[in-house]
Amino acid sequence: QDVTLKLHQFLPAQSAVPSLILDVWADKVEADSGGRIKIDRFPSMQLGGTPPELVDQAIDGVADIVWTVVGYTPGRFPSTEVFELPFFVADPMAASYAYWKMYEADMQDQFDGLHMLGTWVHGPGLFHTTDPVNAPSDLQGMKIRGGSRMVNDMLTAVGATPVGMPVPAVSESLSKGVIDGATLPWEVTSSLKVAELVGNHTDFEGNGLYTLTFIMAMNQGAYDGLPDDLKAVIDANSGLDFSVRAAEANLGADAPSKQIAEDMGNNFITIDQATVDTDWMPLVAPIYGSWVADMDSKGYDGQAMIDRARALMAEYTAAQ
Amino acid sequence: MSDLAIGITSFPALLLLIFLRVPIGLAMFLAGLVGLILVTGDTTIPFARLKSETFTTFSSYSLSIIPMFLLMGHFATLGGMSQALFKAAEGFLGHRKGGVAMAAIGACAGFGAICGSSLATAATMSRVALPELRRSGYAGGFATATLAAGGTLGILIPPSIVLVIYAILTEQNIAKLFLAAFIPGILAALGYVLVISLYVRLYPGNAGTRPRAAWRARLRGVWDVWPVLIVFALVVGGIYAGWFTPTEGAAVGALGTGAIAWANGGLSWDSLGESFMVTARSTAMIFFIVLGAAFYNGFLALTQVPQEIALWVVDQGLSPLLVLALILVFYLLLGCLMDSLSMILLTIPIFWPVMQGLDFGFVSLIDLQSARLSDLVQSGAQIAPDVLAQAQAALAQGIELTRAQMNDIGLRGATEGALSRINTEQVAIWFGILVLIVVEVGLITPPVGMNLFIINTMDRTTPMAETYRAVLFFVASDLVRVVLLVLFPVITLALIPW
Amino acid sequence: MYSFFLKLSKLMAWLGGAMLTALIVMVCTSVLGREVNGILHADWLVSLAPGLSRWLLDLGIGPVNGDFELVESGIAFSIFAFLPLCQLTGGHATVDVFTNYLSDRVNQGLRLVTDIVFAGVMVLIAWQLWLGLASKKSSGQTTFLLEMPVWWAYALSLSGAIVAAVIACYVAAMRLREVASGRVILPIDLGANH
Ligand code: NA
Ligand code: NA
Repeated sequence: QDVTLKLHQFLPAQSAVPSLILDVWADKVEADSGGRIKIDRFPSMQLGGTPPELVDQAIDGVADIVWTVVGYTPGRFPSTEVFELPFFVADPMAASYAYWKMYEADMQDQFDGLHMLGTWVHGPGLFHTTDPVNAPSDLQGMKIRGGSRMVNDMLTAVGATPVGMPVPAVSESLSKGVIDGATLPWEVTSSLKVAELVGNHTDFEGNGLYTLTFIMAMNQGAYDGLPDDLKAVIDANSGLDFSVRAAEANLGADAPSKQIAEDMGNNFITIDQATVDTDWMPLVAPIYGSWVADMDSKGYDGQAMIDRARALMAEYTAAQ
Repeated sequence: MSDLAIGITSFPALLLLIFLRVPIGLAMFLAGLVGLILVTGDTTIPFARLKSETFTTFSSYSLSIIPMFLLMGHFATLGGMSQALFKAAEGFLGHRKGGVAMAAIGACAGFGAICGSSLATAATMSRVALPELRRSGYAGGFATATLAAGGTLGILIPPSIVLVIYAILTEQNIAKLFLAAFIPGILAALGYVLVISLYVRLYPGNAGTRPRAAWRARLRGVWDVWPVLIVFALVVGGIYAGWFTPTEGAAVGALGTGAIAWANGGLSWDSLGESFMVTARSTAMIFFIVLGAAFYNGFLALTQVPQEIALWVVDQGLSPLLVLALILVFYLLLGCLMDSLSMILLTIPIFWPVMQGLDFGFVSLIDLQSARLSDLVQSGAQIAPDVLAQAQAALAQGIELTRAQMNDIGLRGATEGALSRINTEQVAIWFGILVLIVVEVGLITPPVGMNLFIINTMDRTTPMAETYRAVLFFVASDLVRVVLLVLFPVITLALIPW
Repeated sequence: MYSFFLKLSKLMAWLGGAMLTALIVMVCTSVLGREVNGILHADWLVSLAPGLSRWLLDLGIGPVNGDFELVESGIAFSIFAFLPLCQLTGGHATVDVFTNYLSDRVNQGLRLVTDIVFAGVMVLIAWQLWLGLASKKSSGQTTFLLEMPVWWAYALSLSGAIVAAVIACYVAAMRLREVASGRVILPIDLGANH
């Protein structure tokens, strides 16, 4: 082969994102290049470092390709947080469509040193708790693990006590009662044994509680160094289409994990749209305001980003 | 040279550096650095990794437990806990044949319950017990060997720094590993007591006795060790009960022992400063090895060596027990030359994938389903009698329940996936305790045994050769224990809930 | 010179110890806050004295916000601050079974080469940490909850790394003088202690 690229990420090889998205992508690129590109895969941070370092590893060329959660490096790529606002995203594919469009139009300068391959969001996040959550008042005093800055703000707003800890610590902390619950999309709950540790899952009709944004990106130098025909292979497998399909695969991985919780006989609570509007939205609405103000102070037009994201999501939905 | 060849060549190169007295952490760091340069072609990538890797290695929440446990051990000494433990044990055992030595082992076990390090336990208890042993007429080599062996209890009995490192490397639950170490730790102490009673019968001239202590004095001695009991219950019990994470437990323990030391008048600005200096040196030494190992292991991963070795071992089709035995023998041999922490950091990333690929079949699906089902019945769950009877009959005949059956019963956590997680965890815990013991044996095996050196510097009148000779009896008891634990995994796993 | 560097490295170790102690106290406060917060939310207390529990909760009794990331940032400083003392007093773990069989002259040579390489590595570490600091500063990365710039913790750590690098260079220079003069200037090894 002509080039070997190192793909580095933090999940074990058999989890959903690596096996259903990253490996599929890498296999396809290898095949399309007629074997001239080889992609060595390093799961579970095998090349060293911690998950927040992945972005820098790709920029510095320690790894050639990385997949990571943007929220692991708070403050660096603030624009992507628009998709992490509470009750903002109904359809992850629509959000990923909007995310890529907005990346192409406005965010490229923030990701300097990286050649973006895909931008997507995971399936809707929801509450997984030891005691049932039917209303915000049930969350009073509950210690909940949140996944990002925005999620923690949301947890505080609805009355829970956010606890910061890395994902792998969730199982142990749940089993010990160090935390009373966690906010997670369905897909990761199977590997964390969440359905075995908690008995209640609270989901929301319409827009999901929150989503996290992902990026899959390549070292700019490694991309620029490819001959044109291999660049074309990479290009054909990345971008808008790939991002939407990645979101679809991510969402698809939710079902088997949800099935496990169903098999366990767990309690499922779905909050209907009317209750979200009356009981939940008023609590989290200030987060929109403070996020816009925060963006404005950083020199971005926060409200415009919200409007643009909504318009693009509507555009995608209308086209379906 | 292929990446794989570079990776494999790095082993002898690394050993050569270490044997040329290059500090172990530095040797691993250099092997990783040079290896990365060879594999990637220039210095860009290794240097770029260094931009963040030193910081992220040192800023680890899980590893912050290490300086906290070290400080806790010093505070415990300042608080007079080592002295109190020895006095209490001596009150009960001192008048027996070999009794003062047995008391020293008992005190080591007690100190090990609040100290995470072997060398600190050996050093601390030697300061207290060595003069007493010599004064009671114990031969030099026997006294030093007893304390060297007793020191290993510092790491066998939880809390344990080496076990923390192992837990992090294999992504296992620290609390469960601590719990698993408990019975083997007690067995170790009992084994050493047995060795002492044999030794004094074989060589009667090597030990003296003390007059029998009055009951009043004995009770007084027991009363004085209550701070040790409280700290142990709070730290290890609290971590296990889930009051706090292991790091939080270490912080609570350090603050608690510090408070006790202060209340006992053992903590002054000077002694606090001295605690910082000792903690600083030990912590820096440990973390530099951790850093070197992280850098070296990152390089090894890039060359795919660990995966290739794991595949190769599985391909050989050796029996799992034989593979385990070979690994343990390897540790025993390496342990004659290297210290425990470096060995764990260097080898677990290579051996753990191998062990993970082996099936020891501790728990079968039938076991798991039966256990979960009887839990469910005992919890008073409402199950249709005919459904229950059918399931119980099936399990009794050795037929596994189907997914549909489990749904009907409301049986949770008894699937293939759950089974494989349980088995992996059991192997990890069992292997971890075995490795812990064999690397600790390394601390007292000649020629390089860190515990032997520490104690030798405290008793210059005893020639090293005498210590070497007497310590072999303790090593023998360790080996017997390893064999027992290999043949009967239940000793290690009995306390661990699935 | 030696006594100056010894004082400097002890000062760094003291600062690292003070930071460690501060973290220990902070973590204990956080544990206590979390447990008390749990009790205040307990059904029995809420029904018994609703006003009291509300009032105490409104005071903000709970886990220390961002305790996790404070430990991570602080402990990195402690460890970097501990390095100089270990470096100067030869505290790193070594294996000397084989070198014991070599002549003093050879051992002195090995020690010289080792300490020169060690100095190079410590300088490399400090230099790359500085570059890491610069990149964290320009990227604006913050911590999760406190949104504290990550480069602050890098800057604290860099102070320890720089002192350790300077001391490693001093040690290497003294080894060179030892070989040249045939005298022993620095302690060889005080033995590992863990
Ligand atoms: Na211990
Ligand atoms: Na040894």
